[in-house]
Amino acid sequence: MRILSTFIVFLILVLHSCTKDSEIPNSWTYNPTPYLLEFPDEFPQMQIELANPLTVEGVQLGRRLYYDQLLHPAGMHACSECHLQQSSFSSSAEVLPHINLGWNSTFLWNGKISGTLEDIMQFEVDDFFHADMNRLEQDSLYPRLFFEAFGTETITSTYTARALAQFLRTVISSNARYDNVFLPGSGEFPTEEEQNGYDIFFSEKGDCFHCHGGILFTDNNFHNNGLDTQPSPIGRSAITGNPNDLGKFKSPTLRNIALTGPYMHDGRYTTLEEVIDFYSEGLKISPTIDPLMKQAHKGGIHLTGKEKSDLLAFLHTLTDTTFITNPAFNSPF
Amino acid sequence: MLRSTILLIFSLFLLTQCTKKDGSGTVTIQLDHSVAGNAFEVDQLKYACQAGHTYSIVNLKYYLSEIKLTDKHGQIISRGNIHLFDIQNPASASLNLDNIPDGDYTQLSFVFGLSEIQNVDGGLINTLENINMEWPIPGDQGYHYMKFEGRYDSLNTGIVRSFNIHTGATKGNQNYLEITLPIQTLILRDNNWTIHLQMDLNEWLQNPTTFDFVGHEAIMMDQSAQEIIKANGGTVFSIGSVKKT
Ligand code: HEC
Ligand code: HEC
Repeated sequence: MRILSTFIVFLILVLHSCTKDSEIPNSWTYNPTPYLLEFPDEFPQMQIELANPLTVEGVQLGRRLYYDQLLHPAGMHACSECHLQQSSFSSSAEVLPHINLGWNSTFLWNGKISGTLEDIMQFEVDDFFHADMNRLEQDSLYPRLFFEAFGTETITSTYTARALAQFLRTVISSNARYDNVFLPGSGEFPTEEEQNGYDIFFSEKGDCFHCHGGILFTDNNFHNNGLDTQPSPIGRSAITGNPNDLGKFKSPTLRNIALTGPYMHDGRYTTLEEVIDFYSEGLKISPTIDPLMKQAHKGGIHLTGKEKSDLLAFLHTLTDTTFITNPAFNSPF
Repeated sequence: MLRSTILLIFSLFLLTQCTKKDGSGTVTIQLDHSVAGNAFEVDQLKYACQAGHTYSIVNLKYYLSEIKLTDKHGQIISRGNIHLFDIQNPASASLNLDNIPDGDYTQLSFVFGLSEIQNVDGGLINTLENINMEWPIPGDQGYHYMKFEGRYDSLNTGIVRSFNIHTGATKGNQNYLEITLPIQTLILRDNNWTIHLQMDLNEWLQNPTTFDFVGHEAIMMDQSAQEIIKANGGTVFSIGSVKKT
């Protein structure tokens, strides 16, 4: 029995290598199944590239590529090595999380790439990884997977980027405690601390919502939130060349924020308590500090100890444990 | 037989005459911004306000809704536009009123902000842009009508602080503004027109009441400040050129 199956595997291998340079094998089919993206009504419609509709095959391929070191020219790194599911697809220091990116149109801390998810994925594959498509073409599995997803016989970085983009569009978090206790319908309610924290966050007392508000908990924009008197790196102005953009960085989403520390573009704060202390009394004034940091001249919003712990309790309601355990997002290997 | 054929042709001719489609055109509203008559430049600390500070404008976003054209017979045409102007999006400086029938139009009117029909939570379609304009203050509803943010050099002492004029429904007061402006007659005859709608941003800070940034770093929960801005809004808008395009 054992010998027989080894023989079959061998036979398949031989057959496979024979067909390598010829036509598409008969067993390959290009008949992709549309992938139905689901998210709650409160979320905005997601823009999906016409050229890259979501399919079950495309999403699966993207997921595999995300976890595969084969994408790296030296076979040493995979996306998932820095973007870890248990940390909301982030990890130490400055790594930005992958959560609800399908609604983003500017990427990286300074917004170096703007456009679609396909655009940022093309950048990651070509310019960050310098991925070698020959490695995928010579693999025993990928040519078939690309064919089934895109009907293509040659693997290009464009198709690789499209597959990754498809996968990341499905990486949605919409099931935090916040979604259950603060949005109508679930019959669950926040604790008193969480409610107080909500009131600070969504009023001009804390005024967090102007930059981290809405259902996505980010305004998808760039701000100088008062970290330094002389911002370095210079952030957004490195891209725009505009001195008024000095020290502006992308507002990160606060969904799953308890999982993504350390915080800020340089990871300077280890805990959320430190971040809250910073907004409360640690603000630094610089010429481009955002007008929304309206108490900067007093060092911050000056919360009491109780208010700080209430705000912290609120931030913890943004943690979505079903997201970090969702089997659809974990490694296929 | 011949008689009846001629009659038929004649009546067909008449009919086509009657159904000859009236013309229509697009009226484009072009939003022009200035500060006390000067060109508006983003993030330049150089404008003077009545309260005595030098100030800059860093961010500007606002809604215009219920935009209407009225013709000389008093007939009102509306296309239901709800328009969000965003200083970061140059394309948002113009909006089109499509399919406006031939007519002699003498008046442009609109709501600055949103009236109670739309200004409820979830009242606008769920775009990223609208979500970013939400007004989530506990106890209130709806959206920001305007985000007008900047910095000021306090009485020109070199001490620079910030201001955030965010308007919207506060503590049960709607606070939106209804603006009606006469226009030099726009004679639409199957052609397209552009109306320049001018907004002098400095007027938000004066006429009739001086708005002082001091003590007004943020006004979302401050109904008396909302009322000053609302009243000052009366002199903010004017019509510039009205031209065939
Ligand atoms: C060595 C660690 C590392 C690896 C491996 C890695 N990334 Fe990243 N990723 C980062 C860091 C750090 C940032 C933030 C960099 C910045 O903003 O300049 C980032 C940012 C991103 C962003 C921007 C997110 C946002 O919110 O703007 C995307 C998308 C992304 N990575 C995708 C990928 C993909 C796809 C791969 C695999 C091809 C990958 N990354 C591999 C470290 C890594
Ligand atoms: C003016 C816009 C603005 C306001 C208001 C604001 N933030 Fe931020 N926030 C930012 C930006 C921009 C960053 C990223 C800054 C950087 O790393 O340079 C950030 C970073 C953070 C981070 C770290 C995110 C990460 O992934 O590293 C947390 C947590 C945070 N803010 C919470 C808050 C809270 C709580 C409030 C209200 C007290 C608040 N913010 C108010 C713009 C803002």
